[in-house]
Amino acid sequence: MSLSRLGGALKFDSVKVSQCSALVAKLWGPCIREVNTSSSNRAVAQHNSKPDWNRAVSEAEKIVGYPTSFLSLRWVLSDEIANVALHLRKLVGSNHPLLKTAKNLIYNGKNNMQAWGLIVLLVSKAAGHSPEIPDMEQDKAAGVLHSQRALAEVTEMIRTSHLVHKGLVNMNTRLGPGEPDDMMFGNKIALLSGDYLLANSCTELANLRNQELVELMSSAVRDLAEAEFLGERDEQNNPLPSRPLPHHQREEASEWDCVLSPLPMAGVSGCMGREWSARHVLAAGALLGKSCSAALKLAGHGQGLQTQGYLFGCHLALAWQAFLDLEAFSGPEPACFSLVGAPLAFTLEERPELYRYIEAGRRSVHDVDYHALYQAVLEGTGIEQTKHLQNEHVTRAREVLDSFPNCDARTALTNIIVAMLP
Amino acid sequence: MACLSSSRLCARVQDKLMCQFGQKVRRQTLFVKLKPPGPSPLRIFGKTCQRVTTCGPACGTSGTTVTGAVRRLASSMQSTSTGSLPDYGTQIVDPYRLLEDDLNGIYEDIRSELERNTNQPELNTIATYYFDGQGKALRPMVAILTAKAINYHVYGENSALLPSQRQVAMISEMIHSASLIHDDVIDQSDFRRGKPSVNVLWNHKKVAMAGDFILAVASMMIARLRSDEVTLVLSQVVTDLVQGEFMQLGSKETENERFAHYLTKTYRKTASLFANSVKAVALLSGADETTCELAFQYGRNLGLSFQLVDDLLDFVSSAHGMGKPTAADLRLGLATAPVLFACEKYPELNPMIMRRFQDAGDVEKAFELVHKSRGLEQTRFLARKHGLEAARLASELADSPYQKALVVTTDLVLNRIK
Repeated sequence: MSLSRLGGALKFDSVKVSQCSALVAKLWGPCIREVNTSSSNRAVAQHNSKPDWNRAVSEAEKIVGYPTSFLSLRWVLSDEIANVALHLRKLVGSNHPLLKTAKNLIYNGKNNMQAWGLIVLLVSKAAGHSPEIPDMEQDKAAGVLHSQRALAEVTEMIRTSHLVHKGLVNMNTRLGPGEPDDMMFGNKIALLSGDYLLANSCTELANLRNQELVELMSSAVRDLAEAEFLGERDEQNNPLPSRPLPHHQREEASEWDCVLSPLPMAGVSGCMGREWSARHVLAAGALLGKSCSAALKLAGHGQGLQTQGYLFGCHLALAWQAFLDLEAFSGPEPACFSLVGAPLAFTLEERPELYRYIEAGRRSVHDVDYHALYQAVLEGTGIEQTKHLQNEHVTRAREVLDSFPNCDARTALTNIIVAMLP
Repeated sequence: MACLSSSRLCARVQDKLMCQFGQKVRRQTLFVKLKPPGPSPLRIFGKTCQRVTTCGPACGTSGTTVTGAVRRLASSMQSTSTGSLPDYGTQIVDPYRLLEDDLNGIYEDIRSELERNTNQPELNTIATYYFDGQGKALRPMVAILTAKAINYHVYGENSALLPSQRQVAMISEMIHSASLIHDDVIDQSDFRRGKPSVNVLWNHKKVAMAGDFILAVASMMIARLRSDEVTLVLSQVVTDLVQGEFMQLGSKETENERFAHYLTKTYRKTASLFANSVKAVALLSGADETTCELAFQYGRNLGLSFQLVDDLLDFVSSAHGMGKPTAADLRLGLATAPVLFACEKYPELNPMIMRRFQDAGDVEKAFELVHKSRGLEQTRFLARKHGLEAARLASELADSPYQKALVVTTDLVLNRIK
């Protein structure tokens, strides 16, 4: 699959971004909300103002049938999950992050990525499928294929498994009294639960009997694993940005026109904007992009549309990430925030001397003076640039959407995208 | 030329050569114990291999061009003094020697496959840590051996190992290592294969990710074989491994159910990988359903026998020889076959099993009772039963050196000392 277009889209350094997103903002900024209201659909016609997130998601879920979460009855009835639930109870009162992960999975807030399976289904429905697909394979009421529904489930399982494994505690550095037993047990359960989800996604994928698809989705699992190794880390493996390099010392960036081979890392370290992109393409964009692409493959669409699907998922995930990064700076000052978020990345790019604050977090990100960094971000143009960045990715995602026929699923996707715009 | 026929041909030619050559060497009394080149899996199975290798001549001074061939031949023959054609009926075929060419470089191939799939140097380091060539490579060996035996069974002498079958051999070792890496984090083990285990050297999140990474790369390799059936069969292994691990967390099953629970767990954690990877190579060879099922059952029985011996060795071998501490299972709270058998004679083990040997002195007491009981003997008996069944299944395949080696492998697994 050739992805030179993605390469073009994602290959940016900060200078180019600010220029081109200024252009993007000029072209799209004023009319973005109009696009949404002008599309003739009942879901949107009901409210002219920006649809809110929860409404956008619940409307969308109706469009593709029952909720997509794998935490459905089928899963609650599985022996292993029942086992995990039992063991989780033992962890209550301990400090293990697995509890937080579990909570985030169950309570459907704005931040969690439950909506990923939903996106895959909406893309499936919006793009339709080739007439050669036999009736038996279709979920007529929802307008998606059974195989696409299974794929959406796999996407969520892979995503969840990764989150759960990410939530392990590094026991080597942690020697609090009394804690090790709980933490060790929590790690055991977290590792096994993640493995269970991963194993199930292997089986579900195998059942789809499409080896190209298995290869594509397995490469997304690989990308997620790679994401945890990118750049510098504190002792709990929390990511830190790399030291910004002066422009003349930067490596030439290579094209990201690969899908099955791993993301090239040339020109990533020291270049804050590109590092942000690389990090989140690996950690989020690859999985959502490959899932969307795979959904189109299942529907019998050609290579060209599959590539568009990949771009859509990838850009949507990056826009989403930029949105999440901005959240820390939209309310009251938080106690801490992501050190690899886009606003801080742009601020570091402008003022490399701020990196001394980051260096204080080498042992633990909690040692960083968040207040100082927060102020620096507010003073600079980091937030503005992040909004431009988000806009650019939103625009790219919408370009793909525009190539789909106008239908309720397309409108739902548009609404979800619009709901996260600032 | 097809792999098999060529090696057989060579064997005959060199046999004659060997007769003269061997005599000559003998006269010079150059009986030196052979040292296999490079890191060879041979020395792991100390006992059996010595029996084979000591009879081979090592020639430092003359005939360097034939040394390799002679050595290979020598290794596949127990006695060279008769000078007759190889009699496959009575000789000991060393499977590792027989497959030397096929197994050669298998770890390198796995490492480069992993390396190709990441641009993160540290991930590469952790992921390739256990593929240093120090392992037994038992799973790849069994997979390749079965592949060759079945290819011979189906196509006769002109059959060769398919590249896809070698891939399955690599995949089986990768799935095994991915599960080892996760086990290390779960069990907090300090040593594996005689070196610090991964969880000691790197942080646990990274180690968990490295395991996921190996599995992902293995899945990509599986998908590239482009066979729906093989993908289904191999993905079953991953599911079994995890389910086995869940079973090990322990449910409070009754005494009657306990042994069945243990056997199911053993199948899922160990035998499934043998059984299904062997079935996958059979599927790839195009063998009929009966033969595939035969392969599966061979792998299953071999795997069960392997794990039973493993559980036995945990009680008898020294900490040094095993590369990990003894009674490790007890310390982890696991009741394996020797303990379960010992239970019949010493019911006081029951409460200890229920509390997972957590009270002070439990591990020592259980260890002692197991040795006083017939638990070890009974475990060996059960292991042998499965080994014999595997051997019986192997003997149903067409007669070939590979088929013989499959039988020998059941012996290797039973008689191993570590």
